[in-house]
Amino acid sequence: MSATPLLELRGIDKSFGPVQVLRDVAFTAHPGEVTALVGDNGAGKSTLVKCISGIHPTDDGEFLFEGRPVSINSPRDAAALGIEVVYQDLALCDNLDIVQNMFLGREKRSGLVLDEPTMEQMAAETLAGLSVRTVKSLRQHVSSLSGGQRQTVAIAKAVLWNSKLVILDEPTAALGVAQTAQVLELVRRLADKGLAVVLISHNMNDVFAVSDRIAALYLGQMVAQVRTTDITHSQVVELITAGRSGNLGLVEAGAGSAGTATGSTDTTSGAVR
Amino acid sequence: MRVGPSQDEIRRQNLGALLRHVHVHGATSRAELTTTLGLNRSTIGALTADLAGAGLVSEGTPKETGRAGRPSLVVRPESARVYAYSIEVDRLRAARVGLGGEILDRRDLERPRGLDAGETAPLLAGALKEMHQSVPAGALCVGAGVAVCGMVRRADGLVRLGPTTGWVDEPIGAALADELGIDVPITVGNVADVAAFAEHARGVAAGCDNVIYLYGDVGVGAGIIAGGRRVTGHGGYGGEVGHMVVVRDGARCECGSRGCWETEIGEYGLLRAAGRSDARGREALLALFDAADRGDARAQTAVRQAGDWLGFGVGNLVNIFNPEMVIFGGTMRDLYLAAAAQVRSRLNQVGLPACLEHVRLRTPKLGEDAALVGAAELAFERLLADPLDVG
Repeated sequence: MSATPLLELRGIDKSFGPVQVLRDVAFTAHPGEVTALVGDNGAGKSTLVKCISGIHPTDDGEFLFEGRPVSINSPRDAAALGIEVVYQDLALCDNLDIVQNMFLGREKRSGLVLDEPTMEQMAAETLAGLSVRTVKSLRQHVSSLSGGQRQTVAIAKAVLWNSKLVILDEPTAALGVAQTAQVLELVRRLADKGLAVVLISHNMNDVFAVSDRIAALYLGQMVAQVRTTDITHSQVVELITAGRSGNLGLVEAGAGSAGTATGSTDTTSGAVR
Repeated sequence: MRVGPSQDEIRRQNLGALLRHVHVHGATSRAELTTTLGLNRSTIGALTADLAGAGLVSEGTPKETGRAGRPSLVVRPESARVYAYSIEVDRLRAARVGLGGEILDRRDLERPRGLDAGETAPLLAGALKEMHQSVPAGALCVGAGVAVCGMVRRADGLVRLGPTTGWVDEPIGAALADELGIDVPITVGNVADVAAFAEHARGVAAGCDNVIYLYGDVGVGAGIIAGGRRVTGHGGYGGEVGHMVVVRDGARCECGSRGCWETEIGEYGLLRAAGRSDARGREALLALFDAADRGDARAQTAVRQAGDWLGFGVGNLVNIFNPEMVIFGGTMRDLYLAAAAQVRSRLNQVGLPACLEHVRLRTPKLGEDAALVGAAELAFERLLADPLDVG
C-alpha cells in the first residue's frame, strides 16, 4: 500500500454526441496492487480504459500520474508514461513467433539489421521474470499456442517496456479452468513486482482471487472503490446491478445527478461495517 | 558468567551465513556479500577461500558490469547436491537438487494407493540409482530429504499417522536409509511444512516471516511459519488444520473423528457434495472444477460451498496467527481460484479487521515442485549450519 496512487483520475466526463458515458468519474490505481474494474455491460468500463490509454479524449477532468498532472491525448502519450493495455482480442500476429510478436513495431536494431540475440534474450528474461514455464520455445509461432499461452505472451509484451501500469481487459474470458488459473497467477505476479494493474472482469471469482481493490461503475458513475478485504461477493453484485449496497454506492438510488458517488476515493472499512 | 562464542563458532556461523546467501540468492559478487552480511572485505575473501577449498562454491569474473573500476569476483554455489523425495497419495517423486535450489534431474512414479513404507523405499531407491548414473564424478552428496503426507516424528522421521496414505507408524526414514545404502543423513518432514519452508526460502513468501501454507491433497494440512520459524509443535506433528472440527457430529473423517475441516474442503467432501462419490483422485477433482466452470449446477454448488468453508477455516487461522500471507497449495490452489469470491466473502465476515488488514492470499510460486524443493532445503539445512563439517 503506497500513499500516492500511480494513476489518479478526477471528475472525468465523456460524451459521445448526446450520450453521456462517463459522469464525474474518479479512479485510482496504486503500484503493487491489482485494481479490479467491474460493472455491467455499458457501464463505461471500456470507455474509461480507452480514455486512460489515450484512444478517446476526455471532455473534462484531471489526470494525475505519479502525483503530477499530465494530459494524455494519444496512445503514444500513454505508452510514454508507461501505460500498456492488453485487449480482449490480444492483437497478436499468428504468423510470427513469440519474440517477433513481443517486439512488433518496436524492434531492436544493431546497425541496419535486427538485433535478434538481444531481443530473444530480453523476451526470455521477461518471461522468466514472470515465472512463465509453459512456453517451450521462444521461436514458436503464436498460432501453435493455446489460449492461455497467448494471453501470457500478450501480458509479457505489455511488461517488456518497463511499463508502470498494465490494464487487462477480460484476460480470462475465453480460457479453460487450468489456463485461467495460470493467467490469474500471472496477473498477481505483475502486481507483486510493483506494477499497478487494472483488471477488467465480469467474473467475480477472478476479481476476488487477485484484486486488492474493487472499483464499481454503474451507468457511467463510479459508485464505489473499496478494498477487497472490506466487501463481500453479494455487495459487489449489488453495486454492479443497482449502484448501491447498504451504505456503499449512490446515496439515493435513481437520484441521477452527477457527483452523487460517495465511496469514490477510498472507502475505509468503517464505512462498510 | 556467560562466555561469548569462541572464534571458531563465529567463523562457522559466518561460513554458514555466506553459503546460505549464495544458496538462496544465487551468484553474488564479493562486494555485495560484504554489504549484505556486514563482514569485512578480507573476512569474506577468507571465508570464500575456505568454502571453495571444500568445493562448495566457485569464484569467477563477472560479465560486463558497465561500471568503472576493477570488477568484484562473483561467488557461485557449486557441486554439492542432495536427493529430495516427495511421497504423495497418488505418486512418488524423486529429484537431485543442487546447491542453489536448482532441480538437476527428476523422476516421477505412480504410487498405487495402499503401498507401505517397506514397498515404497525400493521404488525411490530405484529412481535414485537411475539418477546417480548421470552424476558427474566429484559431485558431493550431502543429504537426502523426504516430504510425506502424514504426521512425522521430528526425532527420527517415523511417519506416525498418514490417514490419507493409510500409513501407521511407518519408518520411512530408516527404510530408505537401508535401501539407499548411502552414508548421508535422511531428513523426513510433513509435506505442508516442507512446502511452506520452500515458499518461504525462495518462493512467493520470500521475505515474509508470518506465513500459513495450506496444502490440499486428499486431506488438508498447513505449514505454519511464525516469526520466521517453522511452527511444528513439540513432537513435530503440528499444523494438522484439516482436522479442526468445524461441524459438531458432522461427516466421518478418515482420522476417526467427525466434522473435521477436511471433510468439507478435502477431496472426498467435494466429490461427495457434487454427487460424484465414486470418483477419486486429482483428475476427478479437476474435472469437477471444470464442470463448475462450464455451468454444471451441482458442481457449482459444491465448489461454492467448499469455498465458503475454506474461507471459514482461513478466517479462524488468520485470527489466531495473524499471518501476512496465506498460500493455497496443492488442490487448495484449484479450490481457491475456482471459488475465490466465496473464500474472500466468508473470510471478510469472520476475520477480525485488524488481523485481516495486511493479509495477502496467494498461490504458490514453486507450484507442484514446492514439496521437492522444500525436501531439498531440509536436507541442505545441516550443510548450511556447518559447511565445513559435512562431506
